Amino acid sequence: MSTWRQFIPEWLSPAVLAVFVAAAAVLHALPYVVALSPYDHNQLTLAFLFIATALAWNWIGGFAGQISFGHAAMFGVGGFAAARALQMQVAPFWVPWLLGGLVAGAYGLAWGHPTLRLRGPYFSIATIGVGEATRLVLTYWQGFTGGASGLALPINAQLKYSLYWYALYFLALVAIASYAIRNSRLGLGLLSIKSDVEAAADVGVPVVFCQDLVLFLSGAVVGVAGGIYASYFSFIEPSDMFGFDRSISFVLMAVIGGVGTVFGPGLGAVVFVLLRQFLIASYPQLYLGLYGLLLVLVVLFEPLGISGLIFRVARRLRPHRGAT
Amino acid sequence: MARGLELLLSAVLLAGLYAMMAYGLGLIYGVLRIVNLNHGGMIMVGAYLGWYLHERAGIDPYLSLPIAAVVGFATGVVIYGGLVRYLPRGPAGGVQSLLLLFGVWLVLRNVAYLQFTGNDQAIRTDYSTKAVVVLGSALSLNRLIVFALAALLLVALDLLLTRTYLGKAIRAVAQNADSCRVAGIDVERIYTFTFGFGTALATMAGLLLGTLFPFNPTFGAGELLKSFVIVVLGGLGSVLGTAVAALILAIVEVFAILLLPAYLTGAVGFVLLVLVLIFRPGGLFGQRVLG
Amino acid sequence: MTLLRVENVSKSFGGLKAVDQVSLELRKGEILGIIGPNGAGKTTLFSIIAGSMPASAGAVFLGERRLSGLRANGVVAAGVVRTHQIVRPFTNLTVLENVTVGAMFGSPSTRHNPRARAHEELAFVGLAERAHHLPAGLTLVARKRLELARALATGPKVLLLDEVIAGVNPVEAIEMTKLIRVIRDQRGISIIMIEHILAALMSVSDRVVVLDYGKKIAEGKPAEVVRDAKVITAYLGEEHAKSNGGIRGPAAENSP
Repeated sequence: MSTWRQFIPEWLSPAVLAVFVAAAAVLHALPYVVALSPYDHNQLTLAFLFIATALAWNWIGGFAGQISFGHAAMFGVGGFAAARALQMQVAPFWVPWLLGGLVAGAYGLAWGHPTLRLRGPYFSIATIGVGEATRLVLTYWQGFTGGASGLALPINAQLKYSLYWYALYFLALVAIASYAIRNSRLGLGLLSIKSDVEAAADVGVPVVFCQDLVLFLSGAVVGVAGGIYASYFSFIEPSDMFGFDRSISFVLMAVIGGVGTVFGPGLGAVVFVLLRQFLIASYPQLYLGLYGLLLVLVVLFEPLGISGLIFRVARRLRPHRGAT
Repeated sequence: MARGLELLLSAVLLAGLYAMMAYGLGLIYGVLRIVNLNHGGMIMVGAYLGWYLHERAGIDPYLSLPIAAVVGFATGVVIYGGLVRYLPRGPAGGVQSLLLLFGVWLVLRNVAYLQFTGNDQAIRTDYSTKAVVVLGSALSLNRLIVFALAALLLVALDLLLTRTYLGKAIRAVAQNADSCRVAGIDVERIYTFTFGFGTALATMAGLLLGTLFPFNPTFGAGELLKSFVIVVLGGLGSVLGTAVAALILAIVEVFAILLLPAYLTGAVGFVLLVLVLIFRPGGLFGQRVLG
Repeated sequence: MTLLRVENVSKSFGGLKAVDQVSLELRKGEILGIIGPNGAGKTTLFSIIAGSMPASAGAVFLGERRLSGLRANGVVAAGVVRTHQIVRPFTNLTVLENVTVGAMFGSPSTRHNPRARAHEELAFVGLAERAHHLPAGLTLVARKRLELARALATGPKVLLLDEVIAGVNPVEAIEMTKLIRVIRDQRGISIIMIEHILAALMSVSDRVVVLDYGKKIAEGKPAEVVRDAKVITAYLGEEHAKSNGGIRGPAAENSP
């Protein structure tokens, strides 16, 4: 066992690694072993995407403590950039996704660098502006988004089926990154910025660099997700990609699952997807209100959302020392 | 030239309303140090309230203003007393209050959607389209009335804050809540009142906005942003500062519509915000809103 | 040999001059004390040296290197770190994590094994058993030690201590004073300290600078400064200056 340990980086707990590998294996094998309906297969694909975006949103929203209500801007920029590249038949197909991610990350950096100096609510309100301005301006940029009617891509049923695994491994990468960031120098720096930005600078944390970097990474991941989303639907439009509702969904998933925890937002994304399924079936017009209510309840009763509930139960079962 | 004057005048008229709208946000922030993310939600509520009373009860929207004030105040008191009060004050509470009030906004949006559908509405009265000639320019009667009402309310607000005991208590709490507690002022009560006032202002502004522009349940986000720009530009505390900042925003907006292609005008508010935050975070009057 | 040089630094806030053309030097291996009545501009001066606030005029140098214009984290990388008058621990991190931040982001010499470094600093200030506690559970003096450990973890050449001793009981004050001496003697770190507890400051400083209304009004060895008429006036008013007394701390009053 001790020789094993040498190969695993110090910050990676063997238990977490084991669970991760097991989960990845199970999910990879699932479609081969269980007869999933096409609907379920596709819903899982989308779920993987949503979980990844929630995790990435959490890097800036939870680790750095800067709540962004405008992440749809990067989702849309990435999605449309990827779609355009796909239309131009840039191959193989995952290159456009990466391209979308890079463009989205760069965009995030561009608006983020001046705005990240704002703290808390000011930053958040500015992000509402970013999201809306991006939507308005890019909707009219026909060359990029195809105008309000959006862009259509050639439909490829085989690709859509195999998106399940691409989305899964994308999620795996994002999950690893999440865990790595949290336990790295960057993660500790972000948490200190979140607690007291001036004191952080006073002990040498390069505040601007850390925040810019994490917003770039967060935006890039969300942008790649946008690209995969475009491939999945073979059709995307600005009001959906850039919409305020989409930005809201990122916030909701992370907050309900546990903003600031490493994997909490993933749980929140799962709940979000399930809830949406249920609501679309039974009460399609209630989803916003329900999300709003959930936000209120989480803030008032359990700031760490589902993760918080889990921690409470864990503490009952096993009294623990220490923190976060 | 005449066109320029006409635009300028319409900007001035709009500025009055913007100032009143922004003041609601600024008041709550100045006293409670909370950014009311539900500001947009209450604006939307005000618009629908005016529409509803006009459609169902035939009440002239401008006469519904007192009703909007009461409804807004009561809603604010309930939101504060039932929800906001329980949040930790200070930086730890910042993110929490943001999310909480955002959640309230979402609920209100949904309620409006269920009641009124997502279609655009507008408050149309018999005199909606009339115009009045002022200084050689034809100005919409609606806008003139809205301006007059907003100006009146702002003056009344200023008097309230400077001449009454309540106003002085509010300003004292804004400066230093702890000292006020020691001096025997019921700070919680002031907080409740202020939140109620700020919400009432937003609701009334929403009603007035509803007489000028079409709206649907998503109404309010742009107005929240504009209010924020005005609060940052004009600083906190003085009605005059808010008025000047509102005027600047209105003028920039009006000329942006004139000079820029249509798809860029939506970005004006945000660009202005970023510029202000980068170059004059202390506002035009040097009162720090940030940090 | 001069290590840190403050040259004609001024800072105005609107019409108010918080720091007025202050110049001072910190020699290598020295402990320099800064005293002065409330509002004299001491903490503002620290903020300027540490880079968290720009000066309105003047500059700060570390050796040949100009510190003015660097951001706070740049100043730390250069080797100058400050503690805060009112302690500011990272409340969401454990004691160990707090100090680790300093080790991870301080001057390059400390970065290759930050966790080990953090453990060392905690042991040095006597907080080793509290490593996994949250700052909220610590007493004031423990939090001051935490702040000190975190600053030391950045591997500084110059340490700016802002009222590290004020607010703790006399026994703890003596412990802190000892610790400060050890920092200078055994670790070769030069120190500037602001302090209200005159007895402590006088007993540990090699030289003292006195500020009043933002201006430097006296400078010299502790014993000289305490008898300077301008200094007595600043603290006690003119009448006391006229009498022959000097400023005495509580320890002096207890001696025969």
